[in-house]
Amino acid sequence: MLAGASRSRAVLASLAVIVGLGACGPQPPDAAALLKQSSQHMLAVKGFHFQMQITGYTGTGEPVQSAQGDAHPPDLHARVNLKEGSILLEVEVVFAAEKVYLKSFTGGWQQLTEAQLAAFFDARTLFDPQAGLFAAMRDTTSPVRGNSEKIADHDTYPVEGQVSAARVHQLLTLIRDQGTYRATYWVESPGSNLWRARLTGNLFDASKAATITFDFSNHDHPVSVTPPPLG
Amino acid sequence: MITPFRSLRRRSANRSVLLALTGAGLFLASLDAYVVVTVLFNSSDPRASILTSLSIPANHFERATPIITGFLLGYLAAMPLAGGLSDRFGRLRVFALSMVLFAFGSLLTATAPNLGQLVTGRFLQGAGGGALVPAVLALAADLYPAGGRSPVLGAVSALQEVGSVLGPLWGGFIAGLLGWTWIFWINIPFAALLLWGLWPEIRAGGEPRREGQVDGLGVILATAGLAFLTLALYAAAPDRSPVGEGFFWQLPLAILFFAAFVWHERRSSHPLINIRHFRDSSFTGSALTNAIAGAGLMVSLVYIPVLANAVFSMNARDAALLLFRLMLGIPIGALVGGWLAQRLRSYRLVAALGLVLAGIGFVMLSGWNEGSLNPHLLGLPIRVADAELFLTGFGLGIEIAPVSAALLDAVGEAERGAGASFLIIMRLVGMLVGFSLVAGFGLWEFDRATVHLLPPLVGLNPTTATQWAIYTLKVKAAIFDEYHLIFRATAIALFVGALLAAATLRPLPRPRWR
Repeated sequence: MLAGASRSRAVLASLAVIVGLGACGPQPPDAAALLKQSSQHMLAVKGFHFQMQITGYTGTGEPVQSAQGDAHPPDLHARVNLKEGSILLEVEVVFAAEKVYLKSFTGGWQQLTEAQLAAFFDARTLFDPQAGLFAAMRDTTSPVRGNSEKIADHDTYPVEGQVSAARVHQLLTLIRDQGTYRATYWVESPGSNLWRARLTGNLFDASKAATITFDFSNHDHPVSVTPPPLG
Repeated sequence: MITPFRSLRRRSANRSVLLALTGAGLFLASLDAYVVVTVLFNSSDPRASILTSLSIPANHFERATPIITGFLLGYLAAMPLAGGLSDRFGRLRVFALSMVLFAFGSLLTATAPNLGQLVTGRFLQGAGGGALVPAVLALAADLYPAGGRSPVLGAVSALQEVGSVLGPLWGGFIAGLLGWTWIFWINIPFAALLLWGLWPEIRAGGEPRREGQVDGLGVILATAGLAFLTLALYAAAPDRSPVGEGFFWQLPLAILFFAAFVWHERRSSHPLINIRHFRDSSFTGSALTNAIAGAGLMVSLVYIPVLANAVFSMNARDAALLLFRLMLGIPIGALVGGWLAQRLRSYRLVAALGLVLAGIGFVMLSGWNEGSLNPHLLGLPIRVADAELFLTGFGLGIEIAPVSAALLDAVGEAERGAGASFLIIMRLVGMLVGFSLVAGFGLWEFDRATVHLLPPLVGLNPTTATQWAIYTLKVKAAIFDEYHLIFRATAIALFVGALLAAATLRPLPRPRWR
């Protein structure tokens, strides 16, 4: 058995080794640099898989509950779950070669006009280089980096900041455009893959909170979206 | 095969308690066999809808198919194993293990965040529930002497049948009151209570053991064959194919496993079922008729509540009550069928009569439309639809006694236990295969009927509301098309079953004991 004094020495020595090793390791980049690098990286990848989930108060005017699919912006193929009363209905959307296609509850694929699309859910803007989520990362103010977290078995740093509502409104036009919303991004380091992004605030109602969560995977896996056969 | 232990003799008070506790466990598990059918989909109450909870869209109903087939597959895999295991390890130990498996499956089902966990939970529930049947039957056979065993075995079997018939009602009421997850949460304290009550007996370990013959390879081959057949028939993309996308390699693989099963069973010293019996047309005919009747029962169990929810916009409780009209006919039909077979001294006539009546019931159901729940029968306080549902259940009930008796007569006295298990297995196989087939073809028909039906896009012009109403009517018409096809196909299968029964079942043996 160790004597009291020698045990304390052993603990101190261990601590010193841990601290020393820690000091020798690579320092994580600061929050703003993480966001900037990740934003550039995600806009440059050859494709990724995404899953979007909306929770909290969404009101009656917002029919989208979730969406998932593969994207190589601006092209993407997604399945979108829409709320109709208390039941869910799934539609499929394809954005390919600057045209938009919809496969609704019944029937085959139909091509939508821009006017029709405006009344629907324009998923193109989600990952648009100017108006989309990755662009919003650059415009996030007061970013603060948190402690390392595992997301989908990858080491990430959560970075939390504020995004103006007007900026988020560009992303999804159903979102209110007044005030600011809280945004959190989980960025892998080393590497700049974005694994998760979360927007929180009174997104669809002035007094009721809602959250939109994006989960990403298959980063840089080539995604090629082709127009579906009509009819 | 289950062999009663002659040495197991307990005091009569003790054995009544044992039978009551294990019987209660069997009843609890059998309630859950078809409990999900009234809570799969509900357009008015999201708490009572498994699909909504798991974010499964209503226009992709095919994704719910494994919730039903998963349970049946688990049941079929465990049931033939449990008899032999209970010989080797003791009835109560196998009972306890089955209850734990059933409770764990219930926990997984109640907490499922996704379809994968839910189907796994239902599979384990099925395995636990299926294993309970031979364990409790064998325990009852151990506890009572050969002369007075029949009423007890009959009561245990009846408990299991009544439980499965009441399940959809139970599910509808609990889900309507508390939400669907409570159907499964409730099982856990009940299972714990039963195990607590039986614990002194389980711990005492007073049961005799012997080298039980478990035909493990036979069970594996048969289960693998059924699993591949279920996969082959599972239409995961009904807009492209009415069967599974891997149909052309999964079906031959299933046939290969079944052929290997037959080859193994012929050589095995302790087969699950004596293959030679299939040379007897009365045995083969009653086994197939039983499977066809199982398919008919499953179609009604699943599609009446879904139709009630999807088209008649009923809540879970009302859907359960609509199904109850059909379920009520089954026990009444079963009693009448048994009596008629004895009276007319003919299995074939009574079995064929039951299947024809059920077939006529399905033909009537295949004519249903949106107004079908309104007309009353000859000014009486019951509706035409109630009578049609009752007739269907009544017919399905009538065939039970003659078909079962014909098969049990064919196997003879010595193999009656194995024959009884085989009857349950064939019924479940019919349910599994029949349901998988009609589910795929039904959804395929719906997609075919709506392939050019495009919904109007919301809010684009002032006539959207009118267009939407027309669209909804057309979708409902397509849903009816789907159901008409399913019910007509089931009716044809039942008529074929009637012909089969009429052609193959032997008359009642002469009563030698008089």
